[in-house]
Amino acid sequence: MALVRTFRLPHLEDYPVQVALFKNVTNATFLRSQLLAANPDFDYAFLDATMILSPLPLLLTTSLTLQAYLSSTLRTRTPHSELVFRLHPNNNIGESYRKFGISDTTTHLIAIKLSLPPTEVTNESVSKHLAEVVEGESVPIGDEGEELGLWADVAKIRKIYKLNDGGKGRAKGKREVAVNGGARVRDEKKEMESVIMGIMVLKGT
Amino acid sequence: MAHSVAEPVPTIAPLSPPSPPPTDRPLHTLPAPFTTSNLQLLAQGAEALVYKTTFLTPNTPCVVKYRPPKPYRHPILDKRLTKARLLAEARVLVRAGREGVSVPRVLGADWEGGWLVLSWVGGGSVRQVLDGWAERVKRGEQKAEQALMDGEILDLMRRIGRCVGRLHDIGISHGDLTTSNIMLQSPSQESGPQPPLGGEITLIDFGLASHITPNSADEEGAVDLYVLERAFAATHPAAEPLFQEVLKAYSESWKGAKSVMKRLEDVRLRGRKRSMLG
Amino acid sequence: MIAIGLEGSANKIGIGLISHPHPSKPPIVLANLRHTYNSPPGEGFLPKETAIHHRTWVVRLIKQAVKQAGVKIEDIDCICYTKGPGMFAPLQSVALAARTIALLWGKPLVGVNHCVGHIEMGRAITLANNPVVLYVSGGNTQVIAYSSNRYRIFGETLDIAIGNCIDRFARTLMIPNDPFPGYNVEQLAKHGKNLVDIPYAVKGMDASFTGILAAAEVLAKSIGENVPEDKRLKNEGGEFITKEDLCFSLQETIFAMLVEITERAMAHVGATQVLVVGGVGSNVRLQQMMGLMARDRGGSVFATDERFCIDNGIMIAHAGLLEWGTGVVTELEDSWCTQRFRTDEVYVGWRDD
Repeated sequence: MALVRTFRLPHLEDYPVQVALFKNVTNATFLRSQLLAANPDFDYAFLDATMILSPLPLLLTTSLTLQAYLSSTLRTRTPHSELVFRLHPNNNIGESYRKFGISDTTTHLIAIKLSLPPTEVTNESVSKHLAEVVEGESVPIGDEGEELGLWADVAKIRKIYKLNDGGKGRAKGKREVAVNGGARVRDEKKEMESVIMGIMVLKGT
Repeated sequence: MAHSVAEPVPTIAPLSPPSPPPTDRPLHTLPAPFTTSNLQLLAQGAEALVYKTTFLTPNTPCVVKYRPPKPYRHPILDKRLTKARLLAEARVLVRAGREGVSVPRVLGADWEGGWLVLSWVGGGSVRQVLDGWAERVKRGEQKAEQALMDGEILDLMRRIGRCVGRLHDIGISHGDLTTSNIMLQSPSQESGPQPPLGGEITLIDFGLASHITPNSADEEGAVDLYVLERAFAATHPAAEPLFQEVLKAYSESWKGAKSVMKRLEDVRLRGRKRSMLG
Repeated sequence: MIAIGLEGSANKIGIGLISHPHPSKPPIVLANLRHTYNSPPGEGFLPKETAIHHRTWVVRLIKQAVKQAGVKIEDIDCICYTKGPGMFAPLQSVALAARTIALLWGKPLVGVNHCVGHIEMGRAITLANNPVVLYVSGGNTQVIAYSSNRYRIFGETLDIAIGNCIDRFARTLMIPNDPFPGYNVEQLAKHGKNLVDIPYAVKGMDASFTGILAAAEVLAKSIGENVPEDKRLKNEGGEFITKEDLCFSLQETIFAMLVEITERAMAHVGATQVLVVGGVGSNVRLQQMMGLMARDRGGSVFATDERFCIDNGIMIAHAGLLEWGTGVVTELEDSWCTQRFRTDEVYVGWRDD
């Protein structure tokens, strides 16, 4: 059995979200081919874990996806492809799959399964199925979900969301914090997270 | 012209308006997916209903700002305005956040549904700090002059000045810069009766904020400062020197500050409003 | 106490006589006469012609009003005239008339702020006690609330007045000036159904209307029979946009702006009543929209009818008499008039709330 964590987003409790994390995955090519073949048994969002900074942006993507699904405003074919698309900063769907979705070289994988009526999806059913099909080590996700950001490739994420590091804006920002926060240490990851989430919400507007 | 006789001034009763037009968005309740459970109404302004709740995770507190439809407005215009204003607020917040000004994070939105979710800003407001300070001065626990020597509060004023300067420097005017909209967040997230003076300054309520154009930069910056000055003055006359400290720090904080300060004098003179032709 | 009021700040000359029998009793209208100068279609009224009109009519109207009121000259306590704001030449011609009869009859003068005249008349008629006032006319657009002996301006136009905007919009579309452009726009708007995008410019409690005129120029050129079909403005269903649609869109847009700034002021001061005064206040659609807003705030909207909404002499007599009652008179050498006269410059000594 694979370790699966069930998230229930406030206000969207009727649509539980099953999330599993794997490392050292060896059959990414196979998993990807199943997605491409639109095999109904593989209706998941398979994400490259190096592209996920932390749990909150991922949960935001999920919430935006559910919102789009519930208001019938999906931009892509399925809710799971929508989830991948919503992670991407621009409206290029193909690119969003390439950048955030599973690729042949993916070794760290986040698998997400939405539970949308009338389909019954349970923690057990997802756990059982993923254990059968994913060749890799299942990694437990704790209460806060911090493990989802364990393998984040910060440089790559910075680049795709165009977050300049050490640029002009940043330097100014640092000075500001020095005057503002006093002894407070600036939480850079938290700031990246804020901007990424803002970009996601504003996407397509 | 009809011949008339003396008559008392006729009195006219209030008008009865027609029924509001149908709308697909709720007027005084919440839009999907929100329900009344787990929601606490914080404020009901002219524009928005503001609720406290959680979002994304059960321990991420947030505010939901809902702009209900205005039945007096044509539905097409109403949708257009609601969407434009939500978007403007979100864009300003994301931009400010990107540039290192501490503001609420944008956690979610539905432009058609009329709502915006922002992260909760804990701590207390500068208004509370000033009220507490004015109270102590009034009770005579601290002489105003002594209170001014209080290094911590002066440091806070300077940080406010620099924070507002930074906001203007990145091309944003707040539009409603009162002391209630300047928060002090304590790192520990605990809220006591008095917000910590050393807490991080966070600006909130960007519902009337806008991106400044070079043409309007001085005016909009000056109006922000003027609104803040009035808010200080409303607290206590003794708070006046405190505001001077804010201004001093502001004027040294960015390159456009001098010309904004100059415009502030004009704005003060005309009491914000322009003199008008009949 | 009886006063005669002379109003002529814009294209109407109005003479009215009012009596305040007792502070606890409602005022009595003794006479309320008015004559309007209408300029030809496509033109606004110009100061010179308007002043000539007022000079032509003022003596006749005063004589007729006094006769109609059935009062003797001795019974009149003071001569009230509009000191401003307004167009200078018409103001001046009426001030001159006021000075003349003051000297002739040996009566004191009271110079009245036109806006305060509208507010006080509106309060007297509607019995709205302490409303937020929206004052909308050809020359003014203000959101006003009373606070410690002043009518304070919370919001206003940043450029031109709403009535001016409507008049110029009407002119662009060659809509007649008789009885007045706003009335004709209102009638046409009743037959409009397509909402055309018109600039909506509100900033806090202030509004701006000049962008609308620029848009109107463009829109006017893309409607009507004589525009080639492929260049004509159409709705989503391919129907041509009409003059009626443009009037409808104008009203929906600018009145929404007014209601929005009024609502913000009401929220700011915690008021539930709103009083609409000034010529544009007679527009039924504006009254409806204001009513919907007020109802949602648990309050109500008051408006006067055309006798009192549109500039008139009674309101000047009424406000002047209130001021005279507090001992204020305007000496002859101070009996000038002015184009600029802000509502909040007047000390409202007759209210103590």
